[in-house]
Amino acid sequence: MNKLTRPLQNDFRIIGKSVKREDVIEKVTGEGTYVADLKPAGMLYGKIKRADVAHARIKRIDVSRALAYPGVKAVLTHGDVPRVLHYGSPHPRSASCTRDQYILDDRVRFWGEGVAAVAAISEEIADEALDLVEVEYEELPAVFTPEEAMKPGAPLIHDVGPGGNLVLDPVKVERGDVDKGFAEADFILEGEYSGGRPVPAYMEPNVCLADWDGAGKLTFWTSTQTSFMVRGILAEVLGLPVNKVRVLVDHMGGGFGAKQDCFQHEFLCALLARATRRPVRMEFTRRETFVAGRSRHPFKLWLKQGFRNEGTLTAREMKIVYDSGAYGSHTPGVTIVGTTSATSLYRCENVRLEGRGVYTNMPIAGAFRGYGVVQTYFALDIQMDEAAVRLGMDPAALKLKNAVRDGDIAPSGHAIIGRGLEACIQTGAARFDWSAVRTQNRRPDRARPHLRKGWGLGCEMHGSSAYPGIKEQGNALLKVNEDGSVTLMTGAAGLGTGAHTALAQIAAEELGVPFKSVSVVHGDTDAVPWDIGAFASHTTYLVGSATRMAAAEARLAILERAAEKLQTTAKRLTIFDGVIHPTDAPDQGLTVAEAMGPSKGIPAANILGRGTYEPTKSYSFAAHFVEVTVDTETGLVEVDRVLPVHDVGKVIHPIAAQGQIEGGIQQGIGHTLTEDYIVDPETGRSLNAGLVDYKMPLSMDMPDIDTVILEAAPDPGGPWGAKGVGEDPIIAIGPAIANAIFDAIGVRFRHYPITPEDVLNALANKEAHDAGA
Amino acid sequence: MKQIVELTLNGEPREMAAEGHRSLLDCLREELGLTGTKKGCDVGDCGACTVFVDGQPINACLMLAVEARGRTVETVEGLRPEGDVLHPLQEAFMRHGASQCGFCTPGILMMARKLLEENPDPTDAEIRFGLSGNICRCTGYTKIFDAVRSAARDIRQAGQQEATS
Repeated sequence: MNKLTRPLQNDFRIIGKSVKREDVIEKVTGEGTYVADLKPAGMLYGKIKRADVAHARIKRIDVSRALAYPGVKAVLTHGDVPRVLHYGSPHPRSASCTRDQYILDDRVRFWGEGVAAVAAISEEIADEALDLVEVEYEELPAVFTPEEAMKPGAPLIHDVGPGGNLVLDPVKVERGDVDKGFAEADFILEGEYSGGRPVPAYMEPNVCLADWDGAGKLTFWTSTQTSFMVRGILAEVLGLPVNKVRVLVDHMGGGFGAKQDCFQHEFLCALLARATRRPVRMEFTRRETFVAGRSRHPFKLWLKQGFRNEGTLTAREMKIVYDSGAYGSHTPGVTIVGTTSATSLYRCENVRLEGRGVYTNMPIAGAFRGYGVVQTYFALDIQMDEAAVRLGMDPAALKLKNAVRDGDIAPSGHAIIGRGLEACIQTGAARFDWSAVRTQNRRPDRARPHLRKGWGLGCEMHGSSAYPGIKEQGNALLKVNEDGSVTLMTGAAGLGTGAHTALAQIAAEELGVPFKSVSVVHGDTDAVPWDIGAFASHTTYLVGSATRMAAAEARLAILERAAEKLQTTAKRLTIFDGVIHPTDAPDQGLTVAEAMGPSKGIPAANILGRGTYEPTKSYSFAAHFVEVTVDTETGLVEVDRVLPVHDVGKVIHPIAAQGQIEGGIQQGIGHTLTEDYIVDPETGRSLNAGLVDYKMPLSMDMPDIDTVILEAAPDPGGPWGAKGVGEDPIIAIGPAIANAIFDAIGVRFRHYPITPEDVLNALANKEAHDAGA
Repeated sequence: MKQIVELTLNGEPREMAAEGHRSLLDCLREELGLTGTKKGCDVGDCGACTVFVDGQPINACLMLAVEARGRTVETVEGLRPEGDVLHPLQEAFMRHGASQCGFCTPGILMMARKLLEENPDPTDAEIRFGLSGNICRCTGYTKIFDAVRSAARDIRQAGQQEATS
């Protein structure tokens, strides 16, 4: 940390307390502004014509009928827009991304890809005009699975990349001597694991609004986690200097990682507004959030591990293939982060890992909470459970024995700090009464013999920052006003996590002023310092640290000003609850407002604190203990209760942190049991793009959740030791449920979602097998 | 053709010009500027656009604006009884962290209000059932259940104090 910051202290005034989130007042009154709530005078409505083929060349596209339709103001096709090959995701020139997209192309690579855009005076007219755009396609052979796409001679989806439909060169990691490790094993487990296509299903459909002024400056409201990245890509593709693009976002209705791309509709909205010289708003339908949004990467994974009879690992070999869909988006980052994550969690000196990201003619997979790690730890943790069964050991004991710990090399290459995972397992096992619960009488209830209970444990770790894939920087600018109030300027997006409140808490704590005296300005690229975006569970860790540095700098300036007024030196002064006083005379002093007030006839002081922080990496840990009931007649799995234990280093806002964990569990239960965005494997056509057919856990489905937050392994890189928490819960819950189902019915599932059909089929197979044996 | 639709909106007489095919949701948001009611799906699946019509919660995306003629419509903007005083549900949602991104919040507040009007002391199962038509994707619902329970208690206590004073 910056040497200006105050030493670690135990008497926190503001952090660690669930202060009232100021942004929530506007949410409960309905006054908060989301992009779709804006309607400037003269605004037009934009819509996108989407392809109904999965892979094709556009032979002819005729917009004359659409343009002639009353109320239509502009129609754009691939001939009307700049042809610039650009990055889809927001980290240009980092290893995490690919440059493989055009705004519009004469080629279609997935069913539902945009081929034209319309602006009209009403949404209905724009919609109707879409039907008048005539497109003639020359269909191309399509590939719908990575296996097909990787076959020699398979049709190529892109000219860029390493070829063979690979998005990036295979990611290979090797440590130790894997062959020797397997030779030393007492037994080897080997299995195939896979997962479907869950989508984030944020409640606010993607939306943007573009408006150009007479001087050629674009003002662009958009629901994004990465406003500065959107600014950068828009400027590059539209050929504008960065200061001619202003990106704005106030409230946003969730993102969960997927609102990090610069989407096709965002370019088109800006171009429609330029063509019509009027503001244009473009709002996805719910259906479009599936068809043209971003999903988690479907995957297939092969995992082989060697074990000693005393329960340690001798070798690990893993191969994973991520289905990227039609564009690269975050696939390089996901493949690198996911593949390297398998070096860790459970200690193993000898590892050989290989990850591939593959183009297919499927919807685009992108960034999504858990970023490639959901997939790998699902496999790693389930196979650990399999090993426990084989060894006749308690899975919690086995996982504890192999848990990653201080000094071990983390996936990022850094040394792990502290023993957070062990603390999570131990705390959870005690609170869940794990041993007693699992060894109790398991005879089914006589009245309901078809219901079987089971208990499972899932573990995970996750980095708070995208390092080393992306070298990050967090920034904060803090202004102390003449009445002692404080304005914090941050580029960090407000997805709904409460990040701004946490940042205000950090500023107030470091300054020594009341929480209420800090307000936060955000969401305007013209007004706040550059920000990398809200992702990788890093806002509190990264921007929190920068905020603390900015506050420390401002605090020193306040003290110097007060010292002059008090005719003493800044070193002898301290600030407590907004009052400045000599350290040896707590009853004397002046308020921050008095210090900041007029001096020598000048009405105010210009006190700015600046913080710039470049972190490496910290890891958070979690262990989820779950109880499930499996209905052996219907195949339905109910999650009855979850005890999530998370080590976050230092909690800034307990209720907000709990909310992250509980929400992650909700999504993770869905991914594991019911959620799968289904695309017809013959045509690439979307089959369940809606909130009824895409089954998410709702109020009736949620288990009791008894959240426990630990400060077991504080990280010196975060503010007072704080680490991230946003992504962790969705990683741990999946294997916990799969392991609990095995515990309940003795059937091992190695894929998600685990549907009632899967359960019934597996039970029937087991019965047949048992009868045969 | 636009028609003039007269209605009572959050206690005030209002009129709006609506085309026959437009939903109440679109007219509230686009014509009347009441954007607190959100559009999450536009097909009646998510509950984000829950408003009251003649005291009954409905999905505003599934009702034509012209059908509201002569009826009483209440939205989240009318939930706050007066000025700076928030409804106990709004207070409880803030206190308990029941709102994260906030997009589902207006609809859930309206549905929770109905639930508590009909059942001032709901069990956990009744709260879960009462909110089963509203999708929240951020909170895992746990904090929403906490907030509704807490608001129910606050409303009952306020009622008792009123009765004894």
